[in-house]
Amino acid sequence: MSAVLPGSNIGGALHPCPELSTTRIGGGDRPSRLLPWRRRQPRLPKLISSAFKTKAAVGEGGLLEEKKGSFYELLGISEEGSLEEIKKAYKKMARKYHPDVSPPDRAEEHTRRFIEVQEAYETLSDPSRRALYDRRLARGLHFAFSTRTGFDEELEERSLWKNRWNDQVAELKRRSMSKDSEENLSWGARMRRKRAESSIE
Amino acid sequence: MAIHISSSPFLMARAPRTNTRRQFHVGASGSGGEPKVMIRKETSGWKIDFSGEKPATPLLDTVNYPIHMKNLSSQDLEQLAAELRADIVYSVSKTGGHLSASLGVVELTVALHHVFNTPEDKIIWDVGHQAYPHKILTGRRSRMHTIRQTSGLAGFPKRDESIYDAFGAGHSSTSISAGLGMAVARDLLGKKNHVISVIGDGAMTAGQAYEAMNNSGYLDSNLIVVLNDNKQVSLPTATLDGPAKPVGALSKALTQLQSSNKFRKLREAAKGITKHMGGPTHEVAAKVDEYARGMISASGSSLFEELGLYYIGPVDGHNLDDLVTIFQKVRSMPAPGPVLIHIVTEKGKGYPPAEAAPDKMHGVVKFDPTNGKQFKSKSPTLAYTQYFAESLIKEAEADSKIVAIHAAMGGGTGLNYFQKKFPDRCFDVGIAEQHAVTFAAGMAAEGLKPFCAIYSSFLQRGYDQVVHDVDLQKLPVRFALDRAGLVGADGPTHCGAFDITYMACLPNMIVMAPSDEAELMHMIATAAAIDDRPSCFRFPRGNGVGVDLPHENKGTPLEIGKGRIMIEGYRVAILGYGSIVQTCLKAADSLKAHDIFVTVADARFCKPLDAELIKRLVHEHEILITVEEGSVGGFGSHVAHFLSLNGLLDGNIKLRSMVLPDRYIDHGSPQDQIEEAGLSSRHIAATVLSLLGRPKEALRYK
Repeated sequence: MSAVLPGSNIGGALHPCPELSTTRIGGGDRPSRLLPWRRRQPRLPKLISSAFKTKAAVGEGGLLEEKKGSFYELLGISEEGSLEEIKKAYKKMARKYHPDVSPPDRAEEHTRRFIEVQEAYETLSDPSRRALYDRRLARGLHFAFSTRTGFDEELEERSLWKNRWNDQVAELKRRSMSKDSEENLSWGARMRRKRAESSIE
Repeated sequence: MAIHISSSPFLMARAPRTNTRRQFHVGASGSGGEPKVMIRKETSGWKIDFSGEKPATPLLDTVNYPIHMKNLSSQDLEQLAAELRADIVYSVSKTGGHLSASLGVVELTVALHHVFNTPEDKIIWDVGHQAYPHKILTGRRSRMHTIRQTSGLAGFPKRDESIYDAFGAGHSSTSISAGLGMAVARDLLGKKNHVISVIGDGAMTAGQAYEAMNNSGYLDSNLIVVLNDNKQVSLPTATLDGPAKPVGALSKALTQLQSSNKFRKLREAAKGITKHMGGPTHEVAAKVDEYARGMISASGSSLFEELGLYYIGPVDGHNLDDLVTIFQKVRSMPAPGPVLIHIVTEKGKGYPPAEAAPDKMHGVVKFDPTNGKQFKSKSPTLAYTQYFAESLIKEAEADSKIVAIHAAMGGGTGLNYFQKKFPDRCFDVGIAEQHAVTFAAGMAAEGLKPFCAIYSSFLQRGYDQVVHDVDLQKLPVRFALDRAGLVGADGPTHCGAFDITYMACLPNMIVMAPSDEAELMHMIATAAAIDDRPSCFRFPRGNGVGVDLPHENKGTPLEIGKGRIMIEGYRVAILGYGSIVQTCLKAADSLKAHDIFVTVADARFCKPLDAELIKRLVHEHEILITVEEGSVGGFGSHVAHFLSLNGLLDGNIKLRSMVLPDRYIDHGSPQDQIEEAGLSSRHIAATVLSLLGRPKEALRYK
């Protein structure tokens, strides 16, 4: 199964992101420069315990279809869910999937589910972790979410920001060159022109 | 002024600055050669050891004014920021004050002072409790140990205090307005300085910020607005259970600026397309991705763009290089117009106990810097705020129509407790007092019983709404005015001096004030019972006096317009209003030693006045002194007006009104402020003595 992930560029132009030299993907065999969503092989790193959808897909075999799964969907609540809702959903699912109460033939699957539910709850019940998760969810990275890579993700996000504001500052500079042309009738532009004229004299 | 570069042999730099930035130690040793407090740079950031001792700050020691920062390198600036953090934690741990707001803006302050030339360039800090690093860098470091104390530094920027404090800010959301005014003045006067307004995401919930941004966009004058976003859209920054969820739609907008739903939806769609088609469509998907990113980052900021400000961000607010770069670039542009730079910071950053605390250690008393534990003194009685919250909960249990509204002050008003009990009946509207009042009026119009808990000085912001929306229409909104009277360390910006005056002049308002915590509970019950007109009651900062509380904290409604006599005496009557009655009782007690036995009465109501009681006091005494902790035009004025209208001044009575003096009382300890205001028990007793014709004793009164 090949997990085709958004924005992936197999053989295409480089995704405009800075390189990261981390080995958070899989074992430390070689320094991987690939960003997680550019993986070609479905290596399931041990770190990614929250990617319940890929596990489910592999475990059940057969279907190539990815189940889109976010923590919210796992718990069955909306993304705006309050802490109370999250707690309730977690308790319900924990009771259902706890290994001690699961029927012996479903034990393994239930245990896996339980771990996923546990991680979902831990992430969503902590506001700052939840905020981080939400941001990544928005960028389509939720299935690679893992707390241990939190720091690297932050770094990566910051560098994305840097590119963006660099562009913005450049655009502002460009705009400001022509801002005080005669067509601009704003109060500020008029004052700046007056000042420029008086300083030339 | 010579710049003193520390050339102490004890300054150790263990790694060359050029390449490896891994281990860089800053230490200063005592006589033994052992480094005492270490501020060191590791790969993951600067680590500061917070011991209880004064941190070694060699670089900060060389900076007295911003001009000393001009030649510092990037690494130096980072070190300066780390030292500044250590200094702030140490200083606030000794004095108490606001901690985490300052820690969050250390890098911003350093960057601003490094790039801009204050005091010619103006930096305006909205809600100045974040201005501690600013004060340290602008010549006041040596006085930081006096902050918020009598005759010491103010806890907020103050124009009188320093030329570097461009504008005094204690109520939030005013910095952009002030900044725009300064920018316009600069333009008209032909000057060339820069104006920078710093405002927080919490302060953005107030309408004034939008009014200012709208006007800035229209005028197009050069102005830099720094939006300091630390995701703390409510103050103090927690409910009882942990960090408050951001209030309102605005914070969502800000979050979206960082993540953008539209972008995500586009991605999901792209994912779908890619899956179906496979192969070379990946390239298309990537291009769409790029496009979307470009599109969204422009339109995601449309909130500010619509208002006419150019949006830059989000920027990592703790990365000095980034901040310095952006400021330098914007500064060098000839005509940027109004620019909004959105920085993301963490409140309490760099001090782990603050980062971990649910309220981020926003306002603290003295604490232990090694672990952040505050030295809270035990008091036999609780704060008035707590009695208020308990009592309101009891009322709400009995009456399901009672709801509570506050303006981003869940902790300060005690309504966090109410919120815990009745989560659906407590409304935090953000820093929006005007809206809170009219919102309450709307609720009252439809049959609910709203209690609006807003500080006395903050309600000033919503005054027209009180007059026009509540009083004029005679809607039964109940106002609980906390922090009435002098407030101590926060100073005149937070002083609740005017509420008696501005409430009691309204025709339909019932105005009352409890003299102790039991009375407070009764007045809450009274207010709950008043259902045909608005009412208000005021109570001070501080703790109760220790009287017996009503059973189960549930008060009983008082008879409206009826006061009570506390002590019976003769010749002299002291009529107190509010908690100052306790001071009057103390004065009466001390006068016994001079063989004077005064009557002390608690007016309870300023509107309607207890006519019977006042007439009786006038007829049975020669001297009547009214006392209140409010400005002129309040209780004393109403009594005087009443007496004159009823012909009671035509006789033999000597009337004196003791009020707060006609000037602003500086911050300090509560006792010092009362002394300064002339309303201590000593002053009251001295007034009695001098009226009785014993001026010498009055002067010598201890």
